[in-house]
Amino acid sequence: MRFQRAYLIGFALHFFLLVTVASRDFFAVLADGSSYLPAALEPHWRVLEDATFTVLGQKLPPNNPMRETIAFYLHAAGIEAGYGYFAPNVPYSYKLVFQLTYPNGTTEYELPSVGTPETGMRLPTLLDFIAANRYEPLRQLILKMLAYSVWQHHRDALKIRAVFGAVITPSMAGYKRGDDPTYAVVCAYDFGFTKTKPPRP
Amino acid sequence: MKPIPRRWQQVHDWFFGGTSDRWLAALRIGLGLQLVLYCITSRGDWLQMFTLHPGSFVTRDLTEALVTLGAALVPRVSWLMSVGEFIGLSEATILWVVWSGLLAAGLCLIAGLFCRSAAIVAWFFHLSAIKSSALLSYGVDNFTSIGLFYLMLSPLPDHLALDSRWRKWPPKKAQLQSFWQRVLQLHLCVIYFFSGLTKLLGSGWWNGESLWRALTRPPFDVVPSEMLIHGRYLFIPLGLGICLLETSYPIFIWPRRTRLIWLVGIIAMHGAIAVLMGLYLFGFIMAVLNVAAFGINLFRLHGKKVI
Repeated sequence: MRFQRAYLIGFALHFFLLVTVASRDFFAVLADGSSYLPAALEPHWRVLEDATFTVLGQKLPPNNPMRETIAFYLHAAGIEAGYGYFAPNVPYSYKLVFQLTYPNGTTEYELPSVGTPETGMRLPTLLDFIAANRYEPLRQLILKMLAYSVWQHHRDALKIRAVFGAVITPSMAGYKRGDDPTYAVVCAYDFGFTKTKPPRP
Repeated sequence: MKPIPRRWQQVHDWFFGGTSDRWLAALRIGLGLQLVLYCITSRGDWLQMFTLHPGSFVTRDLTEALVTLGAALVPRVSWLMSVGEFIGLSEATILWVVWSGLLAAGLCLIAGLFCRSAAIVAWFFHLSAIKSSALLSYGVDNFTSIGLFYLMLSPLPDHLALDSRWRKWPPKKAQLQSFWQRVLQLHLCVIYFFSGLTKLLGSGWWNGESLWRALTRPPFDVVPSEMLIHGRYLFIPLGLGICLLETSYPIFIWPRRTRLIWLVGIIAMHGAIAVLMGLYLFGFIMAVLNVAAFGINLFRLHGKKVI
């Protein structure tokens, strides 16, 4: 009986954390104003979201042992994120296009290349992260890494322009009217690359 | 009002009432298959996903720095890399050792060989891999992680595992079998409830636009838009149907009368996501979790009670 009680207490803690994380993301959606609920309620949702941060120890200093322990447990159990996939509405997708410029002035366009279709399904996570990230140096760094991976296959290119934008697919009514998807540029960066000479023997 | 001791007894009986271990066999085999498929499908990009060398999508150190910002104890590939480098292995070799370890753990889980060790290795390697490639992870990794976490803690081996048959390991307590199955069942209820409720708050799920956009959003636009538009009248009922199916899952998955309907509905939804959006691994893991949690007891195929 004693071991069963221990199991139940462990489950209660686990379930509490699971529901708190799910609630945190749920309140975040409501507080962002992306639902159709009245905007007047948004500050209240923000308070509730804030409360879940407190419960999960996310307001403690980053190296606080309690915060670290809770964070480890959440990741270990796979419950660190909520379950609002494609909700409340399906977001726009993003696209990254590389414009390669060669020494003779010609240009060529490339998309991020992956080896398998499964990795292709994973790329939207990266693109969504770039879009959501407002810290300019980090966004630029990630785009430079991606541009460099493209340059590996086009080492004659002098310059690569990374153009990152949102793909706005037409609504059903728009599609029936004959509207095409449009591409709204979010940001663009130029990266210069030069081939390093092999060291002299 | 029922007296507290009686309520406590009811809760206790609900969790520890005892059940066969067929659900655990389904979870073990399903997760083993999922890991094998994960290894096979990611093989072509494995090095590029984890290497530190420039030329990868996003270098491992950057991803790990982002993930571990508030969670320094989370396992990651760099830990395995440090151990490998200590014994003189190159980065590529270590990454392939991790890949092979995951594959071997998946195969062992399918066969039921060294179940507990395989489950722990699978959980650790998989968690390390998805955290070190977090910018390329999506829902499927999260759900595999959840499944592996429960599998690792569950009373392995089940009676179908080779460990039980060849090595004559005694079956585990039926009480613990039912406890861990209940945990998985309740977790799925939370997942679908919040998923459905959040969808219901978006106008797009009421007018069919969200379903349309989900199916036409690159790279999930497997079915051409000109074909999808023919089924536009179905988008409103289907979108609302998905919301209602998910939100009411915690209610209708329990009674025997409605369980089959909800289970088939949910698995059909994940099957449709797999086929229409190309998310095969995601569809598969969700089917595995649902069948293990609620499906096994529906099918009494020569079932024998272990204890």
